[in-house]
Order: sequence, then structure tokens, then C-alpha cells
Amino acid sequence: MREIVGHTAGKIFLLVLLVSVVAMFLVPQYFYEPRLVFGWVPLPFAAGIAFLCVWLVAYLIYFFFYWPFRR
Amino acid sequence: MTILALIVFGLIVLWMSVYGYVISSKTSEDYMLAGRGIGILVMFFFMLFSISSAWTFYGYPGYLYTHGPGYVFFIWGCVAGFAGLYMFLGPRVWAVARLNRFLSPVEMMSQRYESKALRVILAVLLLAFIVPYVGIQPLGVGLGFEALTGMSRMFGIAYTVVLLLLVVFLGGMRTTAWVNVFLGLVYAATFLGSLVWIVAKVFPGGLSEAAQVVAQNRPDLLSAPGPEGYFSHVTIAGLLIVGMLAFSWPHVVIGTMTARDKLIFKWLPLLAIVAAGFLFYTIPFIWGAIVAPAISLLPDTLVPPMSGKEADNVVQVIITQYLPRWFSTFVLMGVIAASISTAAVQLMTSGILVSRDLIHGFFRPDATDRQLILWTKGAIVALLLLTFGIAAWNPARLADYLTSVSVPGFAQWAPCLLGAVLWRRGTRQGAIAGVLGGTLVLVAGYIIAPGNAALLGKLIIGSLVLNGLLYVVVSLVTPPPSAEVQSRFFDEVDDFLSVEV
Repeated sequence: MREIVGHTAGKIFLLVLLVSVVAMFLVPQYFYEPRLVFGWVPLPFAAGIAFLCVWLVAYLIYFFFYWPFRR
Repeated sequence: MTILALIVFGLIVLWMSVYGYVISSKTSEDYMLAGRGIGILVMFFFMLFSISSAWTFYGYPGYLYTHGPGYVFFIWGCVAGFAGLYMFLGPRVWAVARLNRFLSPVEMMSQRYESKALRVILAVLLLAFIVPYVGIQPLGVGLGFEALTGMSRMFGIAYTVVLLLLVVFLGGMRTTAWVNVFLGLVYAATFLGSLVWIVAKVFPGGLSEAAQVVAQNRPDLLSAPGPEGYFSHVTIAGLLIVGMLAFSWPHVVIGTMTARDKLIFKWLPLLAIVAAGFLFYTIPFIWGAIVAPAISLLPDTLVPPMSGKEADNVVQVIITQYLPRWFSTFVLMGVIAASISTAAVQLMTSGILVSRDLIHGFFRPDATDRQLILWTKGAIVALLLLTFGIAAWNPARLADYLTSVSVPGFAQWAPCLLGAVLWRRGTRQGAIAGVLGGTLVLVAGYIIAPGNAALLGKLIIGSLVLNGLLYVVVSLVTPPPSAEVQSRFFDEVDDFLSVEV
């Protein structure tokens, strides 16, 4: 973490993760109707999959192009 | 047939334990931390199946089955918490433990904060909250055993306790890690296999057909707040926070200390997000939120709606009713695998806390390596007996053990754990004030709010906020840690981690 906040790419990475977490705090307001995505996926599950997609993309870009421990 | 299968399964575990004992180097570092030599593949299975337990097979689907899908936010929080551990905290915990030959994360904390009192407080705290969690593992097997055979759950509980004893007593952490690979494969195969088979057999139209059955008959099971009004917006957000605190589960933190090198921390987040988040934890969700309720709502169902603690059994009961008996036995072995893979790591962690942090840290600082191993084994036996008692008592639903008891308890060391490796200014006084303040609020919550989930949830979140605030504020108004500590825990770690892999 100390290494990650030490450069711009790391700060952007952390910002993306933070925004995704804030979004997860906001989305439950839409869970009060029984909506099914693709005919079988309940909305709380779909929201989590979207959340993990954001984390995955951010992780892949940051850890494989800007990993702070490699010099 | 069931008994024979359980004997064969037990013999395989016994063989692995004995083999692990034979090849071990009989040092405390080898017994407790697998010689700090766990590679990426074993580490993945080791960690994934140390957190995927009987709770995943029974408690989690059972809760979704009765309260709807809002509970899944705990899982999303957990996946983020584990990924975050390996991304942010793991490399530094691993490095500082390796550089200073720490055998326990609590030992690391006591050195970082230069406090023996904190060592006792943390060891007792973590032990108090890990034991109920260990207790649900044999209980899960007992429930499955009961559902499958109709015999008393005590047989299943006793069988699990004996296997656990073999794994941790003979093999230590390395065998626990290796056994987790075998157990994890059995677990994943049975869990996924049973789901695919059930859907193919009962719902020819696939998951869409099952979801439509639920949507048409019980739409409240597909939305918040769920049939009993458990999952308000605040509760769901709170579950996400509690899940994210998974980075502080002691048996997961100690796993980072067993890593062979820092490259493991580059790859583990990928496995945590993809293999655990997208794939593995989807299985119990589909089971509990869609397939199990849909089966119970069918007009000619063999498994009428279940409620309360009975619902913890719903997956096993459905499998027993709808699939051949031999497959039900296979599934029970999957549950046993899940239970043992988790409880073994937790028992190893607990044993280390007792021997390294309580006995060696206080009463016998001059103990030999051999004595340390013996005390760890003795502590494990004592903890197993305690676990057996909790499993036999079975005072609450499986899901409640985890989200309302163990995880909030583990989280009480989260602020000072983060500060130990990420914040130079964190002090002994701040750490002690935070842990004691937060824990007092949590314990008060258990006393004044039993059965009141909403109030307990607020007190759990309140305890964490208070803990973090006390840690930061008290740290800022007390003298900073010594220069020696700052050098050992920050400067040397920075240098060590910046070396080319």
C-alpha cells in the first residue's frame, strides 16, 4: 500500500477501487424490486459481478504494468 | 456404503498426514509455517479452502434460502477483502515476518508496538472468536451426516474431530496446506457436480426455469429486504463492510507468512477475484438463492419449505432426496473436506497463538523448538475438545456464527494490523485503546441485543468505528514508536521488497 500510493498509477488504481466500493454502497436502493438479469440472475448478484469486473480490470492493468515491487 | 466411503476417505487423510509428518524437518518454523515455502498453486488451494467451509456449503445457502439474495454482499466484501489483503497488506506482513523470523502475526504485532500486554490482549481476543468458527465445521458435517443417514449428528462431529486431530497433530501447517489441495478438489467437485445434476434433473429449462418458479411464487425471495425484512439498505452496506474486513481473519493473515516469495502476492489477487469470486462462490449462491427455494416451491416437491436452523440442511436434504444415495455420500465427503480444510488451518493458528504468544511469550521465553511444537499440539487437542462441545451445543444458525460472532471479533484487530505495517505513527497506546474500546462495545452488543439483528448490526459497525477512531486519535497524541521499530518495520521492509525478484 505504501508503495502503491507513492506513484500516479497507484493512486489511480486506488481511486478506481474506491469508486467501485462507493458504488456498491449505493446500489442496494435498487434491490427492492425482484429483477432478474438474463432471466435468472438476481440484481444483488449481478451488481457484485460488475464490481468484481472493475476490480479485475484495474488489478490486471496495475499489477502487470505498474507493480511497485519490481525495479 | 456410507460408512465404507468414510473409512476410505479417512484413510487417505491419514496417509497424507503421516507422509507430511515423515518429510517434515521437525522444527517449529516447519511445523507452524510450513518452512515459509508454500508456492502459488498450493497457496491458492490452501487459502481458498481455508475460508470455504461447511458454512459455504450449508450456512450461506441456508441463509439465502430463507432471507433472499441480500446476504451475497457479505461474499462480495470478502472477495474484495481477500484480494485487498494480497494486494496491499500481504507483501509487507510476509516481508517483516521473514526478516524477523516471526512465527505468529500476534508476535509481529507485539514487536511492532513494543507491548507484551497487546500480545496477550490480541491472542486472547483472536482465540475467543476463532473457536466458535472452528466449532461450526464439525457441526456442519454432523448436520450432513444426520440428513444423509438419519443417525445422530454426534457421529459426524466425532468423525471430523478425529480427522482434524490427525491432520494438525501429525502434519502441521505444510500437511494442512497439502491436504487442502486434495480436500478442495473433492469439495469443488461435489459442490458443482451436485448443482449441475440437480438442475439437469429437476429443471430441464435450466436456471431460468428455476428462477421463474421463485419469481412467480415468492418474489420476496429475489429482492431486498427479504421475507423477514432482514436486509435493509443499511444492513446490506454493513455486510459489505464486514465482508471486506476478511483481510483481518487470523488464519488468513498467518497464511501470508507461509509464502515462498513475493511473486505470490502478484498472482493471488487474480485467483481470488476470478477463481473464488466469479466461479467458486457462485455455486452456493445459485444453490441457496435460486435452486433450493425453487425446488421447495414446486407443487410435487420432495423438500417442503424449511425454516430456522433446519434450513442450514436444505442443500444436503435436497441432494439426499433427489440424487442417488452414492452421490449423497460423495457430497457428504465434500462437506467433510470443506470442514477439515478450514478447521485445520484455524486450529493450527489457534495452537500457535497459545504456544508462541501466550506460553512462549510470557511463561517460558527460553523454550526449545521441541517444546514449542509440543505446546502447539497440546493446545490443539484442548481446542478440539472445546470445539467438540460447541458443535454438540449448536446454539445458533451456521451463518450467524460467522457474520455476527467470529468476523466482527476478528475485525477488532484490523485497525492496529493495518497500522502496524502501513502507518509509522501508530502507537502501542493507540492499538490497545482501539482494541479494548471496540471489543467492549462488541461484547456489550452481544449482551444487550441478543436476537435483535438490526441493533446488533449497528453495534458491530459502531465497535469498528470506535476502534479505528481510538487507534488514530490516541496514536497521534502519544509519543511515536522508537526509531528502531520504524527502521525494522518500514525502512528494512521497503528495501527488502524493492529488490529484483
